[in-house]
Amino acid sequence: MSARKPHGQSYADVAAKPPPKSDSNVTPAVPSDVIFKLLAFTAAMVVGPIGMYFLTVNTIFGGNPTYAGIVAAVTANVVLFAYIYVAWKEDQGDREEASESNSKKAQ
Amino acid sequence: MADSEYAPKFAPFFSFAGIAAAMVFGSAGAAYGTAKSGIGISGVGTFRSDLIMKASIFIELIRSLIPVVMSGIIAVYGLVVAVLISQALSPSSNLSLYTSFMHLAAGLSVGLTGIAAGYTIGIVGDAGVRAYMQQSRVYVGMILILIFGEVLGLYGLIVGLILNSKS
Repeated sequence: MSARKPHGQSYADVAAKPPPKSDSNVTPAVPSDVIFKLLAFTAAMVVGPIGMYFLTVNTIFGGNPTYAGIVAAVTANVVLFAYIYVAWKEDQGDREEASESNSKKAQ
Repeated sequence: MADSEYAPKFAPFFSFAGIAAAMVFGSAGAAYGTAKSGIGISGVGTFRSDLIMKASIFIELIRSLIPVVMSGIIAVYGLVVAVLISQALSPSSNLSLYTSFMHLAAGLSVGLTGIAAGYTIGIVGDAGVRAYMQQSRVYVGMILILIFGEVLGLYGLIVGLILNSKS
């Protein structure tokens, strides 16, 4: 199904020609470190707050659920700010790379 | 389990209504925030198709996912309050009407502030991500507005926790 038949050509013509070069890019998918980063934050967001709640409710706070709830909310915000920090650092590294490549181009 | 004027049979109904309100409204707000900011992120591909081949698009994508993470936190707030209320209930104990209305208030406060926060995050996230693709200096302002929007949900959680500790 890769080679469609244009008007005014026989199927033999179409089959003989190489398939038209597509400008859509499918080879470089998302880099694996980005995937792992996103997966780690997803896991932290899913497991972290509720896990901290059940971890601390009977061990540290002696069955007081209010403090354990506060710990769960704080954990969720810690994950959020860690994500913002990672996104921040990512950009700085990228800008340094970009400026390096720009200076190389200038030379 | 004796009935009384202060602890009638129907009292647990309001507690369970509080649990459902916390979870349902909080998730509704989170869903709106995720969907609306997701529309903005999806617009990146068509908006900056010159960038899509370069590696820097991933940095932009990681940054533009921040509204989605914040919407997830709104749902976590609802989840925390729902778990808190449900741990206070048991079929063998007598629940007073005061406690059950308090549970309803806690659930409604966290759920409806979750809707408010999710609505804010959705609209600001959509517009902010689109603006960030044009001008990356918008980033700090977008993060600040998003945090102020998310704090609305945090206020509801604080009130819910305080109400829950009064029983």
